[in-house]
Amino acid sequence: MNFLAPIAFAFAAAIPVVVIFYLLKRKRVVKLVSSTLLWQRFLADTQASSPFQRLRHNWLLIFQILLLLLAVFALARPYFRGQSKESRLRVVILDGSASMQATDEEPSRFEKARAEALQWVNGLRDGEQMMVLLAGASTEVKQSPTSDKGALRRAIESSTPSDASAGLADALKTAGAFTYEKRGEEEVTSGEIHLFSDGAVPPLTELENKNLPVVYHRVGLGGKNAAIVSMEVRANPENPRERAVFAAVANYSTNAISGELELRFDGELVQAKPIELAATNTLPIVFVAPQAKDGVFTVRLNADDILAADNEASAVSLLPQPVRILLVTRGNRFIEKALRGLPNVELSVSPVVTETADTADLVVLDDLGAPVLPRPNLMLFHVGHTNLFSVWEVVKAPPIVDWKNTHPLLRFVNFDNVQVAETLGVKAPAWGVSLVESPQTPLLVAGELDQRRIVWVGFDPLQSTWPLRISFPIFIANAVDWLNPASANASHLIVKAGQAFRLTVGQPVAQGEVTRPDGTKRELQLAGETREVVYGDTSLHGIYRLKAGTNDVTFCVNVMDANESNITPREELSLGRYQKVSASSIKRANLEIWRWIAAAALAVLLFEWWFYHKRTA
Amino acid sequence: MSALLTPELLRRLEQFQLLAARRAKSSAKGERRSRARGQSVEFADYRNYVAGDDLRYLDWNLYGRLERLFLKLYEEERELPVRIFLDASESMSFGEPRKFDFARQVAAALGYVALCGFDRVTVVAFPDNSEEAAVRGSLRSVRGRKSSLTFFQNLAQLTAKGAANFNQALRRGALEARQAGVAVVLSDFLDPDGYEPGLGALVGRGFQVNAVQILAPDELNPLTYGDLRLVDSESGAMQEVTFGKFRLKAYQQTVSNYCQRLREYCQARGIHFFSVSSAESLEQLLLRQLREAQLFG
Repeated sequence: MNFLAPIAFAFAAAIPVVVIFYLLKRKRVVKLVSSTLLWQRFLADTQASSPFQRLRHNWLLIFQILLLLLAVFALARPYFRGQSKESRLRVVILDGSASMQATDEEPSRFEKARAEALQWVNGLRDGEQMMVLLAGASTEVKQSPTSDKGALRRAIESSTPSDASAGLADALKTAGAFTYEKRGEEEVTSGEIHLFSDGAVPPLTELENKNLPVVYHRVGLGGKNAAIVSMEVRANPENPRERAVFAAVANYSTNAISGELELRFDGELVQAKPIELAATNTLPIVFVAPQAKDGVFTVRLNADDILAADNEASAVSLLPQPVRILLVTRGNRFIEKALRGLPNVELSVSPVVTETADTADLVVLDDLGAPVLPRPNLMLFHVGHTNLFSVWEVVKAPPIVDWKNTHPLLRFVNFDNVQVAETLGVKAPAWGVSLVESPQTPLLVAGELDQRRIVWVGFDPLQSTWPLRISFPIFIANAVDWLNPASANASHLIVKAGQAFRLTVGQPVAQGEVTRPDGTKRELQLAGETREVVYGDTSLHGIYRLKAGTNDVTFCVNVMDANESNITPREELSLGRYQKVSASSIKRANLEIWRWIAAAALAVLLFEWWFYHKRTA
Repeated sequence: MSALLTPELLRRLEQFQLLAARRAKSSAKGERRSRARGQSVEFADYRNYVAGDDLRYLDWNLYGRLERLFLKLYEEERELPVRIFLDASESMSFGEPRKFDFARQVAAALGYVALCGFDRVTVVAFPDNSEEAAVRGSLRSVRGRKSSLTFFQNLAQLTAKGAANFNQALRRGALEARQAGVAVVLSDFLDPDGYEPGLGALVGRGFQVNAVQILAPDELNPLTYGDLRLVDSESGAMQEVTFGKFRLKAYQQTVSNYCQRLREYCQARGIHFFSVSSAESLEQLLLRQLREAQLFG
């Protein structure tokens, strides 16, 4: 037998008190009276109805101690571990995403959700279990299934919202795994999932046909919110010394919102523009600003709305550096010409892979058989028999059937009139994605392997009509841009809240330090000989600074999520196409009051004892 | 005139006379009608003259008509002995006002009425107190209105002290009396040995008994609550009791039952019974209760 509340045994201290009451002689006030005759008669009259007083006295003591023991025992909540069926489980999911920081509820949506969840903890019946999940960018199990209300309360009270978007699908899947149990052949629901959210979440199509027992507790009242939904810093096409900052501001409410949009560079105000946002409209804004050094551009929206986290976005902007390209070829004028035509490029051409290859930013290998691949980023044309692919064969005249023009490499690139005479046949690898495909083999694969970017083209451009098309130099320009380590790093320096920041360092480092936007510092202990630093706690939006060895990197974390910024509370959640969960108005009453009743009974008992003795001398 | 009674009350009391249901049996002459024949103005009967009779009582008119000598007989007027039994034990010294003070006032008033009526008044204070022997002695067989001042002074000098044996005192008082008359018992009747033998002795001796029970307000309605150890003022016996407001009614019921039993006992033996609180007005008792009961009129 075990006890859920063994601390209640402290009440057993009342037993000696009762015994002492019986042992103690009552202190009486001595009073001289004319005659005790009337008092004797009075006592004789009143005690005539209880002839067995002395006997009852003793029994009363035993009875009281017994009752006290029982009460203490009940307060200690004993239970037996048995083979009986597992009790019902309630899984509480707290939405800890950015939208839960909205202040339309007092003091915030998250605090309201937390208070409601605590009510459900208070109403937990004996034998029921509860677990607590916090759904931020990743799902955090704050408390595994337990009946311990103290632990559950602590878990809920220690939960805090982040600026990340809600990974509700993960949380619901985790919860679903706990709420089903196998009985024989069939699965039976043995619990409930209580989701405390505003419904501002990405579509939950993954949960189709799961039939989860979800109870959706909606929090939130209004949807008055404007947000910066995208931001990008590029060189100004008209003046390479200036930077153009593109920002899009969206209004998700049904009323117009006016405000001011500020552009800051390293905290200094550069420009400010008044903006007028029509209801449910998105407004693109372009700032043009000079940049003399590497720094951070921040766009801030000053408007009266209920969510502050998405009113700011930052981007690291590095000054453009010339790209050092080594072209290893036995002669391909098309590639060479396309590369030379690009601005800000230092091109060197070599027939073989030289030792200087490792110092280049980018190495282009054209039509080489089984070379040793240099360390920098690579663009490979018709290079076979490396360890990039497992199968090598030759495919004659592969027709091009599909290409992914959404990828930055294929922006404005068209393969409509491109014919290929012969290509290397491979299977799509795990390290990259196939961007151009024929039915037999991928023709163009891009990806990242061993911390370097690789673009692999399976055919020799000279064995195709591609160099004659306008798409070829565009592709070369895109590829150089994508493979340029500076631009690759710049894109790495902006992450969404909740996503991990990765940094590749030249020398292995053992530890680092991150300064967060709120000024707090976090030590990083890195495992052994790693050349990649990963920092995952990006729950706050703003500018972070990472120091690791000789590296000193600034990176930005932004909310920039339309799902989080559109904070109008949803009346129902769609779990796939067919299942919808409506907002529940069920409030959990505090059912467990038996302790109070037991405590009151104890008080009544003590009072009864006092009263009994007051009546009888 | 007296610290015990106000002049106004004395003036009113002068109008009254003790009423005795029975004829006076005293041997001493007084102003009460008796069964005895003697020298008064009230004609009672005739009898034949025998030698030696006083010639002054012959009815000469009858001799003129019948020529026979008849002697006129008149009723003898005798005194009415009044015995007042005054409880002067320790228990009577309690109460606010004190029960003993009240009892002395009643004794003084009744004694004054008797003295005004030329009755012989004896105050029997019990228990015995050697220190007050002289005072107590001079309270015996007081007669005549002129003695009233001394009577009051002596009464005022009495104190309540010691433990009384109620029954013994009454029995002795009954035996001492040469003639039975009116007996007034002033006490709280709270003797642990009871009151029946004492009252019975008085009734048996032929007294016309009047019992006045005097209780203190605190005895009727106690105001001390809590866990108490009560000490009896006379016997020193102790009684532990836990008393509170919620038990007051039960206590009052007990007192009421006690008084009721005493009343029933008295009624069964032709004793006039009165129960008063020492806080009650003396006039109320004398001029209403005792008059209504025709103790005096």
